[in-house]
Amino acid sequence: SGFVPPDMVQQQPYTGQIYQPTQAYTPTSAQSFYGSNFEDEPPLLEELGINFDHIWQKTLTVLHPLKVADGTIMNETDLAGPMVFCLAFGATLLLAGKIQFGYVYGISAIGCVGMFCLLNLMSMTGVSFGCVASVLGYCLLPMILLSTFAIVFSLQGITGIILTAGVIGWCSFSASKIFISALAMEGQQLLVAYPCALLYGVFALISVF
Amino acid sequence: QGGGSAVIDMENMDDTSGSSFEDMGEMHQRMKEEEEEEAEGEAGAAEEEDGEFLGVKGLQGQLGRQVADQGGKMWQAGKRQASKAFSLYANIDILRPYFDVEPVQVRARLLESMIPVKMINFPQKIAGELYGPLMLVFTLVAILLHGMKTSDTIIREGTLMGTAIGTCFGYWLGVSSFIYFLAYLCNAQITLVQMLSLLGYGLFGHCITLFVTYNIHFHSLFYIFWLGVGGLSTLRMVAVLLSRTVGHTQRLILCGTLAALHMLFLLYLHFAYHKVVEGILDTLEGPNMPPFQRVARDIPVVSNVVLNTTAKAVALTL
Repeated sequence: SGFVPPDMVQQQPYTGQIYQPTQAYTPTSAQSFYGSNFEDEPPLLEELGINFDHIWQKTLTVLHPLKVADGTIMNETDLAGPMVFCLAFGATLLLAGKIQFGYVYGISAIGCVGMFCLLNLMSMTGVSFGCVASVLGYCLLPMILLSTFAIVFSLQGITGIILTAGVIGWCSFSASKIFISALAMEGQQLLVAYPCALLYGVFALISVF
Repeated sequence: QGGGSAVIDMENMDDTSGSSFEDMGEMHQRMKEEEEEEAEGEAGAAEEEDGEFLGVKGLQGQLGRQVADQGGKMWQAGKRQASKAFSLYANIDILRPYFDVEPVQVRARLLESMIPVKMINFPQKIAGELYGPLMLVFTLVAILLHGMKTSDTIIREGTLMGTAIGTCFGYWLGVSSFIYFLAYLCNAQITLVQMLSLLGYGLFGHCITLFVTYNIHFHSLFYIFWLGVGGLSTLRMVAVLLSRTVGHTQRLILCGTLAALHMLFLLYLHFAYHKVVEGILDTLEGPNMPPFQRVARDIPVVSNVVLNTTAKAVALTL
């Protein structure tokens, strides 16, 4: 009885291509395998990283203030949703006669940087800039509803003030809820909610005046 | 190996010039270049290997992949270098201990900032915390913005937001540093962070006063709030500083300066950003103003004569 190498026992099917050292390396994404077939490429949305189901989940988390937030949904930073929301906010302001896209983008950028610094200082684990921008962008959704309302009705009366205060509270409550669950900062929700309220208050100022 | 590790080879740092940032940058550059040479060497070998099978794989696919890998590697190396420089220069972790607070503590300190202490014989404790003061400064910015928007203030050189942020942060940082400098001259026991914290919490009174008086426009109400609320928060700061300073002259200088600056700032904020509202109120509710008079335009006779003379002169020349 001799030593039979295990390779000999199992015959490899002849594929017509021999001496292919890279055959064992099966590319999983189309980026590193330029000569692949058209059918092997993943769908475009998957390549771009836009996952509609996650976007919908995050939107529901924001719109339903009492729903418990899942900390893991913010692991992948998705900036497509927030971009769309910023554009929608600018568009609703445009419908009300205020051409203030510049202010919206400027305040978003400065606000995101400020919140990023503050959250990094206050949390045990750090937070990435994409995560902060993503959360703040998603929680802008109730503000879009407010500015839609402002197209038709003026917000400068007492009902406008109450409605604006309510919407600011809603936005900052949702944002702080998601931050708390993602960064495990129990007991500091008010401390996180207050700067968010200041930021959304500035957005509300643009909507109202 | 050599994959972007931060270990510096001490052999190359024998000479005295090896510790400056420029030299560190050079070290990183050299490491990066070595990496790329290695990568290129590997890629070149792989290319040669696959180049034999031109007919099978296709040259385009292999080359394309190698180029993409190279581009990816350069991007990675560049990103690593940038993040190293960033973490070296922008290390905000030194501020981390000043932001470690609970909501209960912040609320307690806010209320305490309006209560002047009576015991000035031994040094009063100041919490060296920066979250509360920072939030109060931002609140003051928001209130100023609200006041400017309500009163339709127009800032010609700059923006509303820039003016508000500049005013509030300038006051907080500038006056804190100035009083800290005076405290150093007057031998007072206070650190810069404590001074920032003290002045920041002292802005709570300003926030309350401005929030109320920007919405309810009565001059006398403002003066009551200025003296009452502003005065209370100033007294609190003055008492704390008094407890930490020895000597009559020093106490007078330090506390007098702080009290004057703090009260005058509130006065300035009210009047600088509120003028327009008063003007509007005067026209709407003030004493009866005469309605706008229509005055017929009176063309003086002189100009008619000049016109006729000119016309005649033109006609004559033609």
